[in-house]
Amino acid sequence: MSNLLFLLILLPAVAALVCYFVRSSAVRTLTVVATGAILTIASLALLGQGTFEPLAVGSFLGISSDFLVTILDFALLGVIFAYGIKHKNLLIQGFTLAQAVLLAWFELVVVEHAAVPALVGDQLSLIMVLVVSIIGSLICIFAIPYMKEHEEHLHLKKSRQPRFFLFLLLFLGAMNGLVLSNNILWLYFFFEVTTLCSFMLIGHDATEIATKNSVRALWMNSLGGLAFVVGMMLVYSKTATLDISAILAAGPQGALMVTGIGFLCLAGFTKAAQIPFQSWLLGAMVAPTPVSALLHSSTMVKAGVYVVLRFAPAYVGTLLSDGVAVCGAFTFVACAALCIGQSNGKKILAYSTVSNLGLIICCAGINTPLAITAAVMLIIFHAISKSLLFLCVGTIEQAIGSRDIEDMRGLYAKYPRTATITIIGILTMLLPPFGVLMSKWMAIEAASSNIYVIVMLAMGSALTVVYWARWGGSLMATRAEGAVPEKQAALIRMPLTVLCLGAVVLSMASPWIYNSMLAPMFNAPPFTVSLGSLDAATGSFAVVPLFIVLGLGALYAVKAASGFRKVKIVAPYLSGSNVGEEGTYIGPMNGHVPFAAGNMYLGELFAEGKLTPIFNALAVALIVLMLGGAL
Amino acid sequence: METLILVIIGLVAGPLLGGLIAGLDRRVTAWFQSRQGPPIMQAFYDVAKLFGKEKMVVNQWQILCAWVYMIAAAASVGLFFAQGDLLLIFFVQAVGAVFLVMGAMSAKSPYSQVGAQRELMQILAYEPVLILVFVGIYLVTGSFSIEAVWQLDQPLLAKMPLLYLALGYALTIKLRKSPFDFSTSHHGHQELVKGVLTEYSGPYLALIEIAHWYETVLVLGLCALFWSTNVAYMAVLLLATYMLEILVDNTMARMTWRWMLKRVWLLGMGMSVVNLIWLYAG
Repeated sequence: MSNLLFLLILLPAVAALVCYFVRSSAVRTLTVVATGAILTIASLALLGQGTFEPLAVGSFLGISSDFLVTILDFALLGVIFAYGIKHKNLLIQGFTLAQAVLLAWFELVVVEHAAVPALVGDQLSLIMVLVVSIIGSLICIFAIPYMKEHEEHLHLKKSRQPRFFLFLLLFLGAMNGLVLSNNILWLYFFFEVTTLCSFMLIGHDATEIATKNSVRALWMNSLGGLAFVVGMMLVYSKTATLDISAILAAGPQGALMVTGIGFLCLAGFTKAAQIPFQSWLLGAMVAPTPVSALLHSSTMVKAGVYVVLRFAPAYVGTLLSDGVAVCGAFTFVACAALCIGQSNGKKILAYSTVSNLGLIICCAGINTPLAITAAVMLIIFHAISKSLLFLCVGTIEQAIGSRDIEDMRGLYAKYPRTATITIIGILTMLLPPFGVLMSKWMAIEAASSNIYVIVMLAMGSALTVVYWARWGGSLMATRAEGAVPEKQAALIRMPLTVLCLGAVVLSMASPWIYNSMLAPMFNAPPFTVSLGSLDAATGSFAVVPLFIVLGLGALYAVKAASGFRKVKIVAPYLSGSNVGEEGTYIGPMNGHVPFAAGNMYLGELFAEGKLTPIFNALAVALIVLMLGGAL
Repeated sequence: METLILVIIGLVAGPLLGGLIAGLDRRVTAWFQSRQGPPIMQAFYDVAKLFGKEKMVVNQWQILCAWVYMIAAAASVGLFFAQGDLLLIFFVQAVGAVFLVMGAMSAKSPYSQVGAQRELMQILAYEPVLILVFVGIYLVTGSFSIEAVWQLDQPLLAKMPLLYLALGYALTIKLRKSPFDFSTSHHGHQELVKGVLTEYSGPYLALIEIAHWYETVLVLGLCALFWSTNVAYMAVLLLATYMLEILVDNTMARMTWRWMLKRVWLLGMGMSVVNLIWLYAG
């Protein structure tokens, strides 16, 4: 047991150091692939052993591990402070200094250092470990060929890949530590490690814009760190324990404690890039694609929603809970609206991530077993589909040199494999019977008792359809007969295929995932499973029957479509003035006039520049409302 | 077993009913315009003829999309007859709607591209209203499943009058009737040609026509839920609703999608929210 835990948390850190100090590409590839494989096996083995009670870690080289974490905490704050000085950013310096002072006071004066078991593995932790270890590893593997090509484009004299993989792997270890922590100080430590890693990775390319965006990410997350420390102190002042399991078991303990939890949620909001903190995640897309994939799908932002979800039992039934739900729902609809106006593929993915995280947080706020099930399901399936889509955009970008969806029109003609996987990825984000939609269905059914939330979810759900459907449609095209087959590196193809299959197969297995991993979380599980269908008192989702009907239907449709060479292929209708060459018609003076069609981005309604300040102001008001509601 | 029989009845009767309604629609429209109009069975003759035409496509995705549209529409009607979950039925129906749009976008044709974009605007307009209608039904019956509706002893209409109006709004858009027919028009000789349908032809257009029949039946089925306690009144409600649809269709000119979005999001959503507040309070 404890060996597995050490492996999951410390192996990535050790592998990270190997990547940094051994500057050989072969060793690096081997280390990353081996680490990925071991993490995957270890996370599955941990799942196989089942949940475990809080567990003490003991000492390390004769130093108590709690003391070690404290030392590292201050070292980390020191490093962040130094970067604040280097980039002359007063916000970073201020937030970090405040954290250090408060933390020192907390550690030295307030806390009575009783032994607190450091790690715990409940259902939620184990699921998170799986998401981090498996999806994170696949992204790291994808990064090997990607970064090679990336650096060839940049013509670097000295490879910066050792530094890149140092932070990429360290990130995985920190995330595993974060989701397994039982001591709130440990949780805080890992929370800060992810802040530092993301700062380093966003700024990796060291261009002006990368540095600027990484600094913004750092100050926003330092604010989150400060909120975390404040929240931790407020909670401790009432409960007098650092033991998260004990805090959760006790439930809400009056205004002061719930306000503390409110601050912890605020920390989660910054990390999950909820409005008004969305700008750091949008800025993060300047980093190489594997970083975006890692930040958006399995790590950084999931750390934020994890914190909100983790403490859900501690604010159940309070006004804070409603506040969290409304804030989450607002982010869901606002980011879906902002997404409509985007043609940049990575930006669409970024806004869609923030939007989905809003939905997860909203579910945590609704705080019923049904809603919590929806949140956890969404974490799992969003992580798979979103990482897949990011890797697809990365692959497309390296192939066509653009990440604009207008430039991806007809991608199937040249890159059939990538285009097909991307289309499948989009469908798994959007349609039944796939997991993301199923979670959304649960969320809507769970939110039906709250009018503010349900109206926002209904609007957000419609907006979501628009931006996905038009992207999927524009990728489709005909392949000329005898066109050259598409080439894909093996280490690119493997993660894409695995994630694509995972998104489909795991969706189909969702009733069993629910039964084995989610149902034990609750005293009164929301669903019963019969004939592969999830049944609740309020409604049922026939997962397997739908998969069979729609799956067979889709297979038949694919078969019908694959016989298209026998069907007469004609040029599109152009009022009878077609010309031989495609995309032109006979215009005035018998000239050949080219035409093109683009998507509607509804600039007058959904302009990013116009909406963002309004949404930010509204979101700040809602957050104030939420925190005030706790009092 | 009983469910299975119901599903099969739905799958068979769906297109038959839908086709008949399409025929009736044209007859009544002709009557409004003092014309004789085609035979009631004309819709079936048209589709039979389309199936006999040569297969022509711009690319293979259209074949795929036409089939998936048809299958998803049929599946949603099947699920409706299986007394399934309303939200789920709606989401399955959305599979078809999305594939219709994607198929139109796969062709490099200005008309079908514009039609596809406008169809997305239509989805954007009706989807939130429909979800709120289902939430209203949930608040009355305590469940999203259709089964619970049959156990009411008072028609839904009594509790959800405004939501029924909003539903009517949404359904006119869903069936692409005037003034909301801007993703495809009934007549080809207009600025839009046939919009989202322009590039579908022959047997594939026939599939889409059948899918549309299924959708009509689904839509009328939703309306029928509002008077679940009495079959006669249910028939009256359906007849009145559809007649009103035809009347509106014939007396309105096509509007723009901006007009629609503003109208529906303000008026339709407004009515829904007011009605929901009554239900929450009640």
